Amino acid sequence: MATAFRTSDPGVTASFDEAERDLLTRLFLDVAEMLEQGLPDDADPLVSLVGITPEAHVPEDPALARLLPPGTTGDDELAGEFRRFTEMGLRERKSAALRRAAASLATVRPPERVRRKAAEKAGRLELDREAAGAWVTALTDVRLVLAERLGIRTDEDAEELHDLAESEDEEDPRAWLAAVYDFLTWLQETLVTALSAGLR
Amino acid sequence: MAAVPVEERQADVDELLETERPWVTIVWNDPVNLMSYVTYVFQTYFKYPRSKAEKLMRQVHHEGRAVVSSGTLEEMERDTEAMHGYGLWATFTHDTSG
Repeated sequence: MATAFRTSDPGVTASFDEAERDLLTRLFLDVAEMLEQGLPDDADPLVSLVGITPEAHVPEDPALARLLPPGTTGDDELAGEFRRFTEMGLRERKSAALRRAAASLATVRPPERVRRKAAEKAGRLELDREAAGAWVTALTDVRLVLAERLGIRTDEDAEELHDLAESEDEEDPRAWLAAVYDFLTWLQETLVTALSAGLR
Repeated sequence: MAAVPVEERQADVDELLETERPWVTIVWNDPVNLMSYVTYVFQTYFKYPRSKAEKLMRQVHHEGRAVVSSGTLEEMERDTEAMHGYGLWATFTHDTSG
C-alpha cells in the first residue's frame, strides 16, 4: 500500500505497490494522450515550430476544456488570440509532465519477493525536485479530469464524493472512481507538503 | 521618409495606452485544487512569501477570486498562461478598481 510523499534531501520519496503503480501509470498516460490529440501532426511543420495554432476553440470535451480554459471572458477576440498563442505550448508541457511522471514509476523496482504468498511488495519512488514538480502538475491535471467526469462542480460536490468513496458502496459505479480521486487527492496533499517544506 | 497622418498616430497612441493600462490576473476558486497547492503555486511562480501567498489563497477560497498580479496585458497573459499550466483557473482583465 502506498506511503505518503515525504521530503528526502534533496527531493521527495514515496512507496507504491504494483496495483497502484499500474493505476497511476494508466491515468497519467490516458490524460497525456487526451492532451496530445489536439496537437498537429507533421503535416504542418511551421505550426509545430512556431507553436501557434491558426484557429483555436474551446475544446468540446469538458474535461479538456478545464485543462485549457479561456484566458479571459467578455472579449472573444482577445480570448481567441490567447488560445491560439498558448494552447499548443500548454498541451505539450502538460503532456510532457504526465509522461515524465509515468516514466518515473517504471523505474520503481519492488524488493525481491519473499517466498510466501504475501501482498505485493511496495517499491520506493525517489524524485528530485524537478521530477517532483512534474508530478505535482501531472496529479493536478489527472484530478481535474476525474473531477469533471464525476461531475464535481462545487466544494459541496467534492465533499459528497468523499463520503461516497468512504462508503465503499458497491452499487454505485461512481464509488470506485471517487475512491481513486480520494487517493490522488491524498497523494497530492502529501507531495505539496513535502515540496513546501523548502519554501519560505 | 514616409509621414504618418496625425489621425493614425493618435489611434496608435490610444492603442498603446489601452494595452499599457493596468491589467490584472485573477485566480478563481475551484472545487478541485487544494488550498495547500494554491499557496504552493503562488510561492513558486510569483515568489510571494508564504504569508502573502496564504492571504491570497484564503481570498480565493472565501471570496471566490483574488487578484494575484497586475501589469501590462502581455505580462498578465503570461501569468494567466502559467496559472493554467499549474491547473488553476485564471483570467486576465482590465483593472477596473481605479
